Amino acid sequence: MAERITRAQIPMSEMTITPGSACQGCGAALAARLAFKALGPNVIRHGIPCCPDSVTKTPRTGTVFEGGGALLTGTTHGLKALGRSDVKAVAFFGDGGTYDIGFQGLSGAAERNENVFVITKDNEAYMNTGNQRSSSTPKYSRTSTTPVGQASRGKTTHKKNVPFIFAAHYVPYVATASVGYPEDLIAKVNYAKDLEGFRMLIIQAPCPVGWRYDPAITMDIARSGVQSGVWPLMEIENGEKFKLNYKPKELKPVSEYLKPQARFRHMTDDEIGDIQGFTTSRWESLLDNDAKGKLMM
Amino acid sequence: MSYEVMVGNKAAAVACRLARVQVASAFPITPQTTITQYLSEMHANAEWDFDFVNVEGELSSQVVVQGASRVGARTFTCTSGPGLLYMHHPMQGTGTGRLPVVMAVVHRSYKGMQPDHSDLMSQQWTGWSHLYVEDAQEILDSLIMAYKIAEDPRVRIPAAVGYDGYVLSYTAEPVEIPDQALVDEWLPPNKAMPSILPDEVDVSTFSRGWGGGDPQDRWKSHHDAILGIEDILKDTMDSFYKTFGRRYGNGMIEAYKMEDAECAIIAMGTIAGTCKAAVDKMQKEGKKVGLIRLRSFIPFPEKDLLKWAEKLGGVAVVDRSICPGKGGPVFSKVRDTFYDMEDKPKILQFHAGLGGKEVRVHDFEMIGDKILDYAKGGKSDKVTWV
Repeated sequence: MAERITRAQIPMSEMTITPGSACQGCGAALAARLAFKALGPNVIRHGIPCCPDSVTKTPRTGTVFEGGGALLTGTTHGLKALGRSDVKAVAFFGDGGTYDIGFQGLSGAAERNENVFVITKDNEAYMNTGNQRSSSTPKYSRTSTTPVGQASRGKTTHKKNVPFIFAAHYVPYVATASVGYPEDLIAKVNYAKDLEGFRMLIIQAPCPVGWRYDPAITMDIARSGVQSGVWPLMEIENGEKFKLNYKPKELKPVSEYLKPQARFRHMTDDEIGDIQGFTTSRWESLLDNDAKGKLMM
Repeated sequence: MSYEVMVGNKAAAVACRLARVQVASAFPITPQTTITQYLSEMHANAEWDFDFVNVEGELSSQVVVQGASRVGARTFTCTSGPGLLYMHHPMQGTGTGRLPVVMAVVHRSYKGMQPDHSDLMSQQWTGWSHLYVEDAQEILDSLIMAYKIAEDPRVRIPAAVGYDGYVLSYTAEPVEIPDQALVDEWLPPNKAMPSILPDEVDVSTFSRGWGGGDPQDRWKSHHDAILGIEDILKDTMDSFYKTFGRRYGNGMIEAYKMEDAECAIIAMGTIAGTCKAAVDKMQKEGKKVGLIRLRSFIPFPEKDLLKWAEKLGGVAVVDRSICPGKGGPVFSKVRDTFYDMEDKPKILQFHAGLGGKEVRVHDFEMIGDKILDYAKGGKSDKVTWV
């Protein structure tokens, strides 16, 4: 498990080139800035179609939307053939390339336990093309393909539990992080970057344009997601060892997370209650797992 | 040098060993399957230092070799029919990325399991070079040559080597295996162009963007690079012949008993072998028909065909595939090639062996008789399904 760090231990050097072409308040740009600081220079960045969050001072390679897992695989085997396994094959994908169209290839790479590090900036919809729903979009969220209308209350199903699905591949390391908790995020990148085998870090990255909130409050949104238990920070090793990294005495109500976001503005009290019930129940089982230090699958 | 009786799929796997492929990746599909098994065995027995990645689908196998090739490894993949269709999307990127990936395509029809050329023919727009070969020895030799050509700094274009499923993939014949030392000498290691290793790139030049310049030029430069393969392919065939003592025509085409021919049959793949038997028989009977076997479909051997066409009264083009509603791709390209000639040979289109339908010597005799008659002014249907 990752060792906690303080803010003073966050590297000063920047690996992203400014200005980027991201929107104001972009959570994904922040995720890239933090993650690549910790990764350092000896990295080949792997990209597939996603938001233009940032340009990093690392060589980059890319392929078709569905090809992320296989491209990482190819690079890591190619590097091995060249005797250059010191260079790290790192992905910086979006949720579509991880949860949806890229899912099969990533599952294949995880099952083969390829020596790769997948970092996903999860903004919970296809933001690059204008906020269409993905399987990462949470229930009730209004997107351009799950609009709210006479016959629709937004998305009808829950966000796919990708961290657990990848943990069920028994890979060395799966973790979640949030841009609202930079020390935790960097500690996890520090830890994962030097492990052997398949590693995955999913970073919740709020999107002011798609989630429809004031770009000035990205950090507040990210923190309240964690503090309400909607986006728990956790680590899972080998599909077994489990740790919750943020455990408040009491969770904040989910309404504090939902209310500032216009994508949830249409929600009734009953619907908020539905999300509260789901979140609380899930949180309790996470606490159980954490107490045992073991993931129950 | 040694001999072994082996099936075509083993010849492909042995070629990988001789070429010292560093990263291979594939997903099993009939009739390519046993290549993946031979490679897995060779890997398990550490026959040479390489990685074989057994992926979860053909699309991933194409992307794996793309990634490994981009960092500079020599790579191999292989598939058949539907698997090739599934690869279509990333094949574009392998072409556009100018990555010297070499792929064996073990032909399988889309309308059944038996071979025709519809699989590789459907990938004409992906920016690869396409070869069609005739026997197991040619599979082995062509794959080794394909690396030499694809990795040439003047080329950097991925190569697909197509051979008919079952007829070659699962049929054993004697194959000469060249000495490893000789292959090592003839085929130097691959090199990434350009490198993407962090200590070898200039990160200060990085920016967000799509490259600028004339967007059409991305297609033109790709097209020009493939046209440029012709001379290099012919040189490579000469050089291969000098070193290993075998050749397949001039690399682009093989002209078989064409010296005194008044008409030619144009065919590709294994049915060209059947056609050779028909040509032997017909020439003994005094019928002046020869065979032009196309090896390279992309780039297309326009120069060679034009040279032969000047001496010919008629050409019968045999397509082992069809673009439904449009016709045979080889026929279209051959007729297109002859358009500017003052005195064009007469031309007939034949479809044969589609869906794996058996093509026999007497079928080619019929084709030969038809074109001889048509060239002398006889009547014929423009298109014949054999």
